Amino acid sequence: MNDSSKTNNVLWKSIEGLNNDPNIQKMKEDEFLDGVTEDFHPNQLSGISRRKFLALLSASAAITATACTDYQDKGEIIPYNKRPQEVLPGTENLYASTCNGCSLSCGILVKTREGRPIKIDGNPDHPINEGKICTKGQASILNLYDPERLKEPLFNNRKISWNDVDKNIIEVLESAVQKGKEIAILTGELTSPTTKKVFDKFSEKYPTTKIYSYSTINQSTRSKAWFECYGSYEFPSIKFDEANVILAIDSDFLVNEDSYLENMRLFTKRREVVGKTDFNRLYVAEGRMSATGMMADYRIRVSPDEQYNFVMSLVNELSKKGSNIEFDPVTKSMVSSFSINNFSKKIGKEKLNYLIDDLNKSRGKSIVYAGSTLSKEVHLAVNLLNEVLGNSNLYNYLNENVVILPQSSREDFDRLIDSMKNGNVDVLIHFGSDPVFYLPYDFEYQSSISRVKTVISLSESLNESCSLSHYVLPLNNQLECWGDSFVQTGVYGLQQPVISPIFNTRQKESILLTWISGSSSNFSSDNYHKFLIENFTQTVYTKLNSFSDAKRVWLSSLHDGVVTLKNVEKLHKKISQSWIPLLKLAKENSGLTVHLTESYFIGDGYFANNGWLQEVPHPITKVTWDNYAALSPLTAKKFNLKNDDIIEVSVSNSKIKIPVFVQPGLSDKTINIEYGYGRKVIGDVGKDIGINPLQLISKNHFETKNILTNASINKIDGTHKLVTTQEHHSLDDTFVKDFHKIRKIIQEGTVEKYQKDPKFLHEHKHELFSITNEHTYSGNKWAMAIDLNKCTSCAACVASCNVENNIPVVGKDQVGKGREMHWIRIDRYFSGSPEDPIASNQPMLCQHCDNAPCENVCPVNATNHSPDGLNQMVYNRCVGTRYCSNNCPYKVRRYNFFDFRDHFADEYYQNNLTALVNNPEVTVRSRGVMEKCTFCVQRIMDVRSTAINEGREISPNEVVTACQQACPTNAITFGDANNPDSNVAKLRNHNLTYHVLEELNIKPNVTYIAKLRNTHSEDNS
Amino acid sequence: MSFVDYTKEIQVVEGKQPLRTIDDIISKPLETKPDKKFYIAISVTLTMLMFGVIGLGLTFWYGIGMWGNNNPVGWAYDIVNFVFWVGIGHAGTLISAILYLFRQKWRTGIARFAEGMTIFAVMTAGLFPLIHVGRPWLDGYLFPYPNQHSLWVNFTSPLLWDVFAVSTYLTVSLIFWYVGLIPDFASLRERTANKFKKITYSIFSLGWRFSNRHWQHYEMVYLILAGFATPLVLSVHTIVSFDFAVSILPGWHTTIFPPYFVAGAVFSGFAMVQNVLIFVRRIFNYEHIITLNTLEKMNKIMLVTGSMVGYAYAMEFFIAWYSGVQAEQFTFFNRALGPYAWAYWIMVTCNVVSPQLFWFKKIRRSIPIMFVVAVFVNVGMWFERFVIVVTSLSRDYLPSSWAYYTPTLVDAMILIGSFGFFFTWILLFTKALPVVSIAEVKAVVDGAQPSHKDH
Amino acid sequence: MSEKILYSYTGIFNSPDEIIHAAEKAVEKGYKKYDVHTPYPLHGMNSVMNLPPSKLGYIALIVGLSGALAALLTMFWISAIDYPIVIGGKPLFSFPAYVPIMFEVTVLSASIATVLAMLFFFFKLPNNAHPLNGTEYMQKVASDKYGISIQCDEKLFEEKSVIEFLKSVHAKDITPIYYDNEEINYKHKIFEPKFILFLVIAGLITSSVTYFTLNKLMFIPPFTWMMDQSRLDVQSSSVIFSDGYGMRNPVEGSIARGSLPYQFQGQPELAGEKLINPLPSTKNVLELGLKKFDIYCSPCHGFYGEGNSRLQGHFPNPPSLHSDKVRNWPDGRIFHVITDGQNIMSSHASQLNVDERWAVVNYVRVLQRAFNAKESDLQ
Repeated sequence: MNDSSKTNNVLWKSIEGLNNDPNIQKMKEDEFLDGVTEDFHPNQLSGISRRKFLALLSASAAITATACTDYQDKGEIIPYNKRPQEVLPGTENLYASTCNGCSLSCGILVKTREGRPIKIDGNPDHPINEGKICTKGQASILNLYDPERLKEPLFNNRKISWNDVDKNIIEVLESAVQKGKEIAILTGELTSPTTKKVFDKFSEKYPTTKIYSYSTINQSTRSKAWFECYGSYEFPSIKFDEANVILAIDSDFLVNEDSYLENMRLFTKRREVVGKTDFNRLYVAEGRMSATGMMADYRIRVSPDEQYNFVMSLVNELSKKGSNIEFDPVTKSMVSSFSINNFSKKIGKEKLNYLIDDLNKSRGKSIVYAGSTLSKEVHLAVNLLNEVLGNSNLYNYLNENVVILPQSSREDFDRLIDSMKNGNVDVLIHFGSDPVFYLPYDFEYQSSISRVKTVISLSESLNESCSLSHYVLPLNNQLECWGDSFVQTGVYGLQQPVISPIFNTRQKESILLTWISGSSSNFSSDNYHKFLIENFTQTVYTKLNSFSDAKRVWLSSLHDGVVTLKNVEKLHKKISQSWIPLLKLAKENSGLTVHLTESYFIGDGYFANNGWLQEVPHPITKVTWDNYAALSPLTAKKFNLKNDDIIEVSVSNSKIKIPVFVQPGLSDKTINIEYGYGRKVIGDVGKDIGINPLQLISKNHFETKNILTNASINKIDGTHKLVTTQEHHSLDDTFVKDFHKIRKIIQEGTVEKYQKDPKFLHEHKHELFSITNEHTYSGNKWAMAIDLNKCTSCAACVASCNVENNIPVVGKDQVGKGREMHWIRIDRYFSGSPEDPIASNQPMLCQHCDNAPCENVCPVNATNHSPDGLNQMVYNRCVGTRYCSNNCPYKVRRYNFFDFRDHFADEYYQNNLTALVNNPEVTVRSRGVMEKCTFCVQRIMDVRSTAINEGREISPNEVVTACQQACPTNAITFGDANNPDSNVAKLRNHNLTYHVLEELNIKPNVTYIAKLRNTHSEDNS
Repeated sequence: MSFVDYTKEIQVVEGKQPLRTIDDIISKPLETKPDKKFYIAISVTLTMLMFGVIGLGLTFWYGIGMWGNNNPVGWAYDIVNFVFWVGIGHAGTLISAILYLFRQKWRTGIARFAEGMTIFAVMTAGLFPLIHVGRPWLDGYLFPYPNQHSLWVNFTSPLLWDVFAVSTYLTVSLIFWYVGLIPDFASLRERTANKFKKITYSIFSLGWRFSNRHWQHYEMVYLILAGFATPLVLSVHTIVSFDFAVSILPGWHTTIFPPYFVAGAVFSGFAMVQNVLIFVRRIFNYEHIITLNTLEKMNKIMLVTGSMVGYAYAMEFFIAWYSGVQAEQFTFFNRALGPYAWAYWIMVTCNVVSPQLFWFKKIRRSIPIMFVVAVFVNVGMWFERFVIVVTSLSRDYLPSSWAYYTPTLVDAMILIGSFGFFFTWILLFTKALPVVSIAEVKAVVDGAQPSHKDH
Repeated sequence: MSEKILYSYTGIFNSPDEIIHAAEKAVEKGYKKYDVHTPYPLHGMNSVMNLPPSKLGYIALIVGLSGALAALLTMFWISAIDYPIVIGGKPLFSFPAYVPIMFEVTVLSASIATVLAMLFFFFKLPNNAHPLNGTEYMQKVASDKYGISIQCDEKLFEEKSVIEFLKSVHAKDITPIYYDNEEINYKHKIFEPKFILFLVIAGLITSSVTYFTLNKLMFIPPFTWMMDQSRLDVQSSSVIFSDGYGMRNPVEGSIARGSLPYQFQGQPELAGEKLINPLPSTKNVLELGLKKFDIYCSPCHGFYGEGNSRLQGHFPNPPSLHSDKVRNWPDGRIFHVITDGQNIMSSHASQLNVDERWAVVNYVRVLQRAFNAKESDLQ
């Protein structure tokens, strides 16, 4: 049609609106539609005044009526002009892709609505993370819609067009090459072979280029140690599911280290209570208190600087009981110099003997695993110990850790900075990295950067390095990027954009490609897309030797998001002992030891501006919006410190001031500080949240990583309020001690006990009866079961729920007031002594009680029961008396004390961009309204409608709630309790099942599976 | 202190007052212009009221978050104030209804005033349920009216019972009050010369004409109303106590609450009435009508109810221990020893200890001391509600969700405002209406009744 | 000035005893239409005047009980019949919870009814126009005197004897009371201008307030019942994107789950040989096929695929599906046509997902077979 051109850019209300249909014109002219007033013409009425009067009356009535009912315009309806084949408005689409949140590069499945991403979940087809994704990954969707993303390329903080950027920089680069000046590219850890290729091409084009790679979170010591033992940097991943005994050396391998999603999955395979229970036994020897430590059956407090001695003395002990390898004489003498005795005092004989026995008994079926924050020596020792025990068959050589670009050494950086200082570096490119923030202070990078002619920062959002750069070039968010990843041999991940760049941004590879092409005019938005396909065809496709053509294979791999490459399993090499002589017995360190660990939820600071992640409570301390120096109660007493006091931690000649948090279970000489906090140049959310402990690391610690010995602390006056989501009660306060046990909130047993008497949990249970006859639910009845054996308190469920259900960010002050809005929280209880506490975790959410106490007290019926057993909230009926919350024994209801989107950080998240992250299927609650977990009713309804369309029943496990989908260990099960074949129904009748506060007889529909501890005794404590 | 012989009934109105002087004394405030004292007083109360208005303004504009309430402490000052004021509102009806049934003549002097206070107190209390909700503009939802959602209210919710109880109480008290006022309006009508006043009084007196054929029915109605008001006044605080007793929260879920709350209400009510009356009788020279004996009798009642309350506190502890429910036991230990122990001990000293002073006659009959004690009682009763509401909530079943509640400035402003609201009404009342029932007082002046010599 | 109409004769007494005595005498004398006025109720006066006991108690009883019943029935109807909702697993009709409200309603209705009954039915108040009001007499009895008044509609009334009687009981200043003529002659007009004005103003205020609330106030947050959600709903605009469309197109070259691009674009023959029909001709499949065929295909192809279009030549008719050519096509070939389109027939890939297409193919096969059925099919 002639005005088809118009339709493309002009918005029109309806098809008729396009062609000027006379009816439409008419309708536009007379105000009332037919029938309302057409037969009314006052002048034509007969002279009888009464009728005239009546007519006028009715007319005025009609007008008033219309006036009172004219609802305001709710915005026009805008359909697709031409609907894309795969998109059906109102239904979701899934795109397989790869996460760039950290170097693990997990496979993700992005849920989009009408071409807009609204949720990120794991890609079930991905062999490493098998459909799960961590807390950071879940919440990272908010980064796409962060109001403070860089939107335009900047030159000295002034807007500039991409075209000019490319022109100028290409000139600069060429001149640098001519002058033979260095072009330095600083990148984070590289996971994409294709990006590597781009670098290679770049160095071809501009020969003076040097590439530097560094990230604070890395495996360098592990892989160096592996190299010294087995002559390869590529260390294998571990088959945790085959280990009967696991000894974790200061390693948080379950929740926050290495390939933890995979580890969690494999580990909890051996914590299955359905069927036969062959539990593994987890020993954790650590100085800090880690989430893995909370999972431990036995926790051993060893300060990280003693770990080396500890492991070596274990080697000594166990090698006495026989060894799998021949020791060289040097090794023998070396090893024998370590004695276990001084540890048996500290740790206690019993525990140590258990450990040694277990390791000895299950040779070849156990694994010792050191944390990646530990020094190379410990890793060497651990490798040796594993060899002694003959655990090498637990190494999984099918999935070796791939090193695409090795970490630059200290020497590299020294050289770089020298040449920067004496002006030999012309161009400095921060390739999505932020060295100013994380390079050790005494490299003096920050000061020497001024000597570089052109500094270019490629970044998604402002960071410390940007502020010192001439060019700041905005990058695509990961959801707008093409890419690939190759972090474990055999697994090749693909990344595809799910939305075209919202702002005037480009992805970093395509920027380089333009510069490589040598002319700004050669830019095309899909240049990296093409490059990627090309590279895929050359490298991967050839390996696959499939029948169909390259294009087809590419498309289908893109569809799956991952390609599994067959590769032959390497054989385990014999360990070289050549390095042994270089080792020596680590000397006792007099002072305290600072252990810097990665923050649980904001990574190395990359996620610092993500409100959702800042507000997820720390798994152990439940602190939000801050980091702190964790001290053991004893040390705190010694320096007479309490929570919120500020201390000055000083290592050699660097100091930081940081608030104290007294943490039971720490070793008395360890100070545990998490890094990633203390960003200075970043959005309003993350700015000045916490302290940056990386300032403590000097370049001497570049190798020994995050263990800083001989630290000293002194109290300085002033306090800093740390806010937690859970009140803290000192463990020895008899007034409130062990309530979770006394009140049967947490019920636990040991494996032995359970095997002796499977019904031990229900020994003293008496019949509960109600005076009214129960309401019966025919048809579906939704219920959930949570297996406490598997919960590692990783909080992926919390993040997933936040994203799915439009949970607002409330900010530090409101959390401090106890007004956080999370629908699901993870309660953490300590029992035992402050020295070695026993932790119990419990995800707590609305229990959807059959006899819900909240319902009885609501005066307006705003909360009531649905026919399928849901305890539902009618937001629009709620007047907000808060009575329901008062009467909820689980205190899982959340109240909108403010309109938090409007209240948080002056309306930071109250804007059209961030509004896009909200799930269109879920109401955005206004202030003054009570809310709570709905069992993801929108998902239930979705499934139900499909089932109805297809004229079938809902199948038993078809509905999947957000938390369940996210839970990396499948601790959460959801389904129809009335359907005997559903997993929930099975678990509800399990011997270990119990309800929290059962005696109230409110009949909760969330059942918990009691935790079994795999200790040697029958009583757990 | 003159010697008092408790064996024979003391006359209610001291000295043989001629009826006309009674007229004069009582209607004096209505016929004279308000003096300086009055203006000072009212400006004070109005400033207090202003605080409240500002506090409420902030709350409506930003949300309940302006208060200290949090999760788990969903209720705090809002409901504490509500219960406190409802409590105050109990003395009036008790005096005018229950004492009337018991034929306590001494009530006549204070009945009218006490009723007035009842009404104002209930008005003040009634504000809080309306403002404590998150979306006050939807308060209409609390009433069962047919609507386009065809949704109704939930009749099993104690809050709804409150709605009915409080509104009924207010209405019935108003009626009771007005019925009592009709004859007084009539006699004022006959006294005044001012035309405007005459019209107003005529309208309100409905043309009452002291006919004995009317007096007969009138007394009957008064009896019936008293009969209704008596169970009503007991029911209101019972139902308010249901707000807590019906829930499952340890520390709230207690069968002793209804009697305990009623006793407490009467206790605080009398204290407040006594406080205010001490001023009134001084300012308006009603010493002869509101006699020291009357005040003493009130003090006795305070002593009784105070002891009842004390008993209830003790009994709560006993039952908690006896129940053997850990959560229950902890709640009460926590009250006495936990983070809110200070509030608990303030409560105990003020409510249990201080009224015991009334065992001594000297103290009973000394105005300054009784005044101070009564003030203590009011403070104590406010803290009783604070202890019940806040401490129970702040530490309930799951230790993981425990939290400490700290009030904010806005909370305080609204509390002050509620006092301002109440006393403003009181002041206006003293200038607008006879604060003592003319007809009733006349009826009890000695020599006012026929000395049936020939019967 | 017409002469006044007499209402009654009144006398004043100083002490309660005197008035009691006077009342006794009046009774002895057999007066009926007389009344005694005292500033407060006098004990024993009722018995002296031997008045019958008041009936108000019954009213209270009846109204109270009916109030209670009404409350109970309403609550039952609401929560068990009109809108039954399960609340806290309690039975729909939970009587114990209704008791408090029943009680309150009882008290409320009873007390209101009694008072109203007394004032308006028993006393016929308000009645400021009563002749006694505004008289000296009334002023006295309102304050500290006691009076008796004997009405002239009394049977035994007769001026002298009444005055005599009053004298005999030592009544002070005996005065006749007359009706006030003005009040008698006063005529009430319905449409007094003041009244009209009042109506008009009230009307204006109400309507303007209503209009404001319904059309303005209700659309100011937070009064909007959460109608303005801070999220992007289907088919709405967004200022974030330059073209204003809230619904985006997927990125060129990206593949959504389950929607791999069609492999044989423009290669019908290849499709014919490569594609294999995955679906069996089961009942469900065919029903699905029928449904989709009738929706998407029949407008042009006709319900039986004979190519008899329902579009009456607005659009060229397609050829019949029962031609040998089509019958001999492999399934994949037909699938290709549906997916890729052919000649002027456009692609139906966006209307029908893969399974639905195959289902349609099966259905087409059935049609073809039905149209030239063999003997064997009849068995």
